[in-house]
Amino acid sequence: MIFPLEIEQQIEKKVPFPVKLDIFEGPLDLLLYLIKKNEIDIYDIPIALITRQYLEYIQLMQKLDLDLASEFILMASNLIRIKIKLLLPRDENEEPEEDPREELIVALLEYRKYKEAAQTLQRREEEEKVFYPRSDFSFIESKDRVEFLREANLFDLLVAFKKVLDNQPKVTSHTINFQKVDLEERIQYILDFLADKDKISFEELFADNPVRLILVVTFMAILELIRIREIRIMQRGHFSRIFIYRNKKG
Amino acid sequence: MSGELNYHLVVESLLFASDIPLPLSKLKAVLDELSVEEIKSIIQELNQKYRENNHSFAIREIAEGYQMYTLPEYSPYIDQLYTLRRAQRLSQAGLETLAVIAYRQPVVKSVVDHIRGVDSGGVLHTLLERKLITILGREEGVGHPLIYGTTPEFLVYFGLKDLKDLPKIEELEALLQTREKERTAAFSSGEVGENINDSNLQGSLTTKLPPEGIEENL
Repeated sequence: MIFPLEIEQQIEKKVPFPVKLDIFEGPLDLLLYLIKKNEIDIYDIPIALITRQYLEYIQLMQKLDLDLASEFILMASNLIRIKIKLLLPRDENEEPEEDPREELIVALLEYRKYKEAAQTLQRREEEEKVFYPRSDFSFIESKDRVEFLREANLFDLLVAFKKVLDNQPKVTSHTINFQKVDLEERIQYILDFLADKDKISFEELFADNPVRLILVVTFMAILELIRIREIRIMQRGHFSRIFIYRNKKG
Repeated sequence: MSGELNYHLVVESLLFASDIPLPLSKLKAVLDELSVEEIKSIIQELNQKYRENNHSFAIREIAEGYQMYTLPEYSPYIDQLYTLRRAQRLSQAGLETLAVIAYRQPVVKSVVDHIRGVDSGGVLHTLLERKLITILGREEGVGHPLIYGTTPEFLVYFGLKDLKDLPKIEELEALLQTREKERTAAFSSGEVGENINDSNLQGSLTTKLPPEGIEENL
């Protein structure tokens, strides 16, 4: 996921404010996600593969100017350190060292346990919504109309966006023409798209224009609209289709 | 019933008048002449009466107390009374942080940060604001960090009777391990992974997991 330098500079110029989203959870979450995606045995993590993919996601997040917690960078260096340790030849006479991955694996297992517990809590949160106590509780209010969908998170969005980019026709030669794109214009484009519809699919928004820069700015426009709560992104489950809804006010 | 006090109706009136879960101790304080066991069976009998007479509500045991709740089948109608949409459901970060606090309490921020692998300062603040957690005190030692724990509101929010009503963490662990085994069995072994080390890794890891059981902290 590498953009030519000019485009990078353009992106920087066109985005006057960083997009901030707090819906991704941290490096361990990203690693668990990659482990699941690659169907890897958590006790035997192929560090080279995971490190490469991890860095790809970090880069993508940086490109999008997401507020990247320092822990992500720390983990990146940690992964590289483990990778180097694994590559270093070992002295036969030395005591067999412990697997350099061990600490990471322990942390992942521990985190995964609480992530599972969090999911249980989420199920209970959902189940509890059909009960109304004798008096009004301020935090109990009407259920969403789209109750069978769940809010998609940043990973889901990134996965969907990666797919959009991957599905673009490969351009082997190109003429560089400086097209004007700005975030506001793409935001308006999305809102216009949604004006007379109940919902649209994520992919639809990218169907009109194959220019990479425009795709990227459109994606940033989506993130911005989520941030200012103009839209909601919902899906049935991980990796399923993402739908965009206009957030009804009031 | 003439002249004689009907305890069932008294208990019912107390629960009807309360907008928070009433602990048995409160009911007992009002009805001193009854034992806790008697109050419990009165509540059971009330519920039975509500069922038999097709009432739309029942008494639930929640947050270490009792409170009247409407039955789930009426929620589609009540939903329409509360048209103001609740701001949000808890975020993933909020749920994770709550899970760590619920199972590890009393717990300091550094433990939460360590397990989640990310700073939890902002989330803790939100959870405090929503009264789902509270500050229990300060730990002795360097910096006197704040100690956090869950609140009764936490139990109410998730419909829990008490903290023991949470699924056991070992059950979750066992579930995860079975899932893992099924998954790795499904994919032919050795396909991925560098296998740089002995196959004992798995065994050695499970023994090296932090020994402190979560339940003992509850």
